[in-house]
Amino acid sequence: MSTFEEFEEKDYGKLNTHIMKRLLSLLIPHWKWVVGFLACIAIVSSLESYTTFLGARIIDAGIIAGSREAIINTVMLYGSLIIIQSAAVFGFIYLVGVLAERVRYDLRKNMFNHLQQLSLSYFSQTPVGWIMARLTSDTERLSDLMTWGILDITWAVINITTAGIFMFIINANLALIVVVMLPILIVIAFRFRTRILYHYRRSRKMNSKITGAFNEGITGVRVIKALSREDDNLEEFADLTDDMYEASFKAAWLSALFLPTVQVISAIGLGIVLWRGGLQVQVGTMTIGGIQAFVSYVTFIMWPIQDLARVYAQMQNAVASAERIFNLIDTEPDVKNRPKTVDTKTIEGDIRFDNVHFFYQKDDPVIKGLTFDVKKGEMVALVGPTGGGKTTIVNLLCRFYEPTQGTISFHGVDYMDMKLKDIQSRIGMVLQTPHLFSGSIRDNIRYGKLNATDEQIEEAAQLAGAHDFIMTFEQGYDQDVGEGGNLLSVGQKQLISIARAILAQPELFIMDEATSSVDTLTEALIQRGMERLMEGRTSFVIAHRLSTIKRADKIIVIEDGHIEEMGNHRELIQKQGKYYNLYTQQFRQELEAQYDIFNKPEPVES
Amino acid sequence: MSENNYYDINLSKTVSENRLLGLWRMMKGYHWLYIGATIALAVATISRTGIYLVLRTFIDDIVIAGNFGRDLVIIILMFIGLALFQGASSFASGWMASKTAESATRRLRNFLFDHLQRLPYAYHAEAKTGDLIARATSDIDAINRFYSDQAIGIGRILLMFIVNFVAILQLNTRLALISVVAIPVIIGVSLFFFRLVSKAYEAYQEQEATLSSRLQESITGIRVVKAFARQGYESYKFDQENWQKFRLGKRLLSIHSLFWPISDIICGAQMLAAFFFGALMALDGEITIGTYMAFASLVIWIIWPMRGLGRLIVQTSTGMVSYNRVAELIKQDREPLTEGEYQAEGAVKGEIVFNHVYFEYEENNPVLKDINFICNPGDVIALLGSTGSGKTTLVNLLPRFYDPISGVVTLDGVDITQYPRKYLRSQIGIVEQEPFLFSRSIRENITYGVHRKVSDDEVVQAAKFAAVHDVIQAFPKGYNTLVGERGVTLSGGQKQRVAIARALLKNPRILILDDSTSSVDTETETQIRSALEHLMQNRTTFIIAHRIQSVMDANLILVFDEGEIVQKGTHQELMQESGMYRDIFDIQTRIEIELEKEISSVNV
Repeated sequence: MSTFEEFEEKDYGKLNTHIMKRLLSLLIPHWKWVVGFLACIAIVSSLESYTTFLGARIIDAGIIAGSREAIINTVMLYGSLIIIQSAAVFGFIYLVGVLAERVRYDLRKNMFNHLQQLSLSYFSQTPVGWIMARLTSDTERLSDLMTWGILDITWAVINITTAGIFMFIINANLALIVVVMLPILIVIAFRFRTRILYHYRRSRKMNSKITGAFNEGITGVRVIKALSREDDNLEEFADLTDDMYEASFKAAWLSALFLPTVQVISAIGLGIVLWRGGLQVQVGTMTIGGIQAFVSYVTFIMWPIQDLARVYAQMQNAVASAERIFNLIDTEPDVKNRPKTVDTKTIEGDIRFDNVHFFYQKDDPVIKGLTFDVKKGEMVALVGPTGGGKTTIVNLLCRFYEPTQGTISFHGVDYMDMKLKDIQSRIGMVLQTPHLFSGSIRDNIRYGKLNATDEQIEEAAQLAGAHDFIMTFEQGYDQDVGEGGNLLSVGQKQLISIARAILAQPELFIMDEATSSVDTLTEALIQRGMERLMEGRTSFVIAHRLSTIKRADKIIVIEDGHIEEMGNHRELIQKQGKYYNLYTQQFRQELEAQYDIFNKPEPVES
Repeated sequence: MSENNYYDINLSKTVSENRLLGLWRMMKGYHWLYIGATIALAVATISRTGIYLVLRTFIDDIVIAGNFGRDLVIIILMFIGLALFQGASSFASGWMASKTAESATRRLRNFLFDHLQRLPYAYHAEAKTGDLIARATSDIDAINRFYSDQAIGIGRILLMFIVNFVAILQLNTRLALISVVAIPVIIGVSLFFFRLVSKAYEAYQEQEATLSSRLQESITGIRVVKAFARQGYESYKFDQENWQKFRLGKRLLSIHSLFWPISDIICGAQMLAAFFFGALMALDGEITIGTYMAFASLVIWIIWPMRGLGRLIVQTSTGMVSYNRVAELIKQDREPLTEGEYQAEGAVKGEIVFNHVYFEYEENNPVLKDINFICNPGDVIALLGSTGSGKTTLVNLLPRFYDPISGVVTLDGVDITQYPRKYLRSQIGIVEQEPFLFSRSIRENITYGVHRKVSDDEVVQAAKFAAVHDVIQAFPKGYNTLVGERGVTLSGGQKQRVAIARALLKNPRILILDDSTSSVDTETETQIRSALEHLMQNRTTFIIAHRIQSVMDANLILVFDEGEIVQKGTHQELMQESGMYRDIFDIQTRIEIELEKEISSVNV
């Protein structure tokens, strides 16, 4: 499907001022934390350079000058600086770490709240996995860049700068040698890091392909065995692991080459420093402690350089993440209130579809010119083959989608002039595969009316016919339903979703009947629950059961996006058309199921 | 077991109760490489220490002695030479270690993949997919990290300690002892903290999972959310989990923010103490200034790496646990595919006899009881009965997904347990009710399992016979359309017809059909039926039937009830006797009568 290709992820993004501004705006509400961690890391970083300088003083002012007092004083100073430094370390880890969590929290919260505003069409066109990745891995990457990334850069820059300053203080000539060396190191480091990250990401991609292959190999094992595909599969799989090996080995040995390269280059620089420095000691422009300090500074310069390179490489990915996140946040909902709306106290009354058209893509209409009237309190059954457009009609009715042409009106008012919330909060809906949320049964019923009392919940469950099976659970209404309601059967889920709808006291009721078979008792309960809900309410049912269909005031046969037949049961049977065929096929299937013909057939009494 | 080029040894033989030994044996073939990595690491460490010793000579014998002749150049060249040597050996070590780790894991992945597809079907029927995948992916990753990071990382720290300690010991015994006093404390503190960290991290990760499922639930249930206009409530619920994750993250961070400064202070104090005593000794002339300088640098390489030891040690436990989980899987026995006493040639005729066959999944709970019947080549055998009556189990015996616990199934007069499984399965085609398709192109799905090059014409021909050609043509990419998550979703009936095309290409002598067409509409049903008829020509066919219409023409109908054959015969024969079959038939007739009544009642 071409839509998926749009979701193929870009790995690299370019940092521009626009994105930069938006990224920084994430930190603005927490600017005090930013100032705090920047101050702490500045202290840590410059103290690191200064203590190395103190190490040189121990040699020069202490050992060589022969002053025990100078040694003691310097060590005391050094010691107190370590304590200050540790305090600052505590400060920056805590501040930047918590800030990182906070930025993640903010990002997820913003995105989630925005998602709630987006229209149904967004969700039907965007894979769940794509959305999930925005709120998880992209969020991680972005917040890491904006906190730890900034911290690392600050540390590295200050560290290199202060080390440079102290080197200049000790000996400007020699410091110049190091300064010349620096850009070479930085360029090499950046190149390495970018390459390493590239191969690393390649290996992660292969890894997800390998996971996919395992998944298929396991879930499809029966077919594989039956078709004796083992050898071919292994060959194909080995190609994947070869690629994975190639990528991750490359990333690994490049990493193994990276630090030694930096070290060797700095060692060459250091060699020159030692050579010149040694000579200068003779003329008195350089001290032995100074040599010691240079050795330390140059040896440990690889760390800030490594950090700079790492952040630089990660930045490109993080910017790509940022683009995707901002893309989500910037998506406008397709369905939203018009600038001018009328206040509606109710949507009760006649409903009219007037020449309603709907399409996602212009050349592929889904609903083509639908016109019908429904009187207040009527029950409408929508029947027809799968993919004919029944669900779309219901989505239009709820204004999850809006007609691309034509109007839908409640008691004569075009629903486009109403507020979304006014419409949707007055509709009750029971889905074919009822979606429950993890939590207790009670929580799930309460979803219909958040401030309902326990009594009201039980009453709704009684009316829905769900009370009895709920009481068979050890924990009754507090029984956990599992993720998505997995721990319950489809029939039970449907009863609970009916109770949920009853509690909501909707003015318009929509039901998508389950096609999968539920046991006869539950089936009867569901039927009764539905009847309760429909009493005195206008209702739409995507119907599969004959009893439901026969009871409808109006049956609409939908095929290929238009009305094929419309009327009540008697009229349509007499017509001997599409409805007649659907009905007889369904009749056979239902009776077969009813007689349960393969299980000890009871003598049929008719 | 070198039957392929993708893994050279049978890893199930390397499994050991001792996890370290097991991990070591799993590296078989790369042992010298890994040892080489360790040696190179030692060489690198020694070179670095050597650099500081050269530095000492530089200070004492050159700078202080004022000897700036050729010796200076030699010393500088030694210095750079050692650095080069150190860089080269440390790269060599990393190269060898990662080659070992990546090679061993590649082999493990290949082995495990092959192992999984060769484990008996019975194993898969019991196992959980998610668990198997976790073992095959994240557990292998953990083993990889054990080889490439943790084991070598611990080795690096220990080597650094030993080499530098010995070097300082050479310089001065007292200095050496002074500089390691706090080491046990550092290791202890770091172990203690990283245990805490790993617990806090686990809680944090769990919350991440909770948050993700909350998110997923909310997205998949978006219609309900919208239908009840509960967007605000959803935001509230999400916010609670989100905030909880923030709090757990904060806790994790608090531990880190305590550990690092505390360890900084301990390490700093140790370092400073060493500096202090060293400086006093140098002052008193007990050691030279060069010695002091070398010492001051070496001490840093002893102390600071130590605080990372706790992290590595704590992490190895994940590697060990993962090893156990993988080992448990790889020591399971595979089913042999090519072994068999009877080596058949060419295609079988397809005469099948069940002789007193019994089968049970668990003891004393027989699923098939005393099954006897004869099926001639080309016959159609229909199996009729309720769910769980043993029909599927019976056909599972044919490709030897399971073997009978007693009794014999023969094919062309030979006990099927004497055929190599691979040969036997090559003679059998299976079309299931909801066939499994692979996420590749439709063409690849049709040719899946045909072990030869297949021309486009052949594929199209098979698809036409299977009545699915038109459906495929309607997709923009035709036969190259991807199936599954990344591609189109096929309906149950379409999948079934693709599977029929697949079976047609395979051209087996024996066919197993799960004939359930209840979920498709009449038109599709007719198409599938004609496709099936095409497929069944000249083949011995077993049909698991759900409707009487599809069994009426069978040569033999077996009616199942609770694992037993309660009736057998042709349609005509079974209609003569009273029993389940005729009851079923009667019901179907009765349904038609009722339908007529129903319609006429409307028409009155």
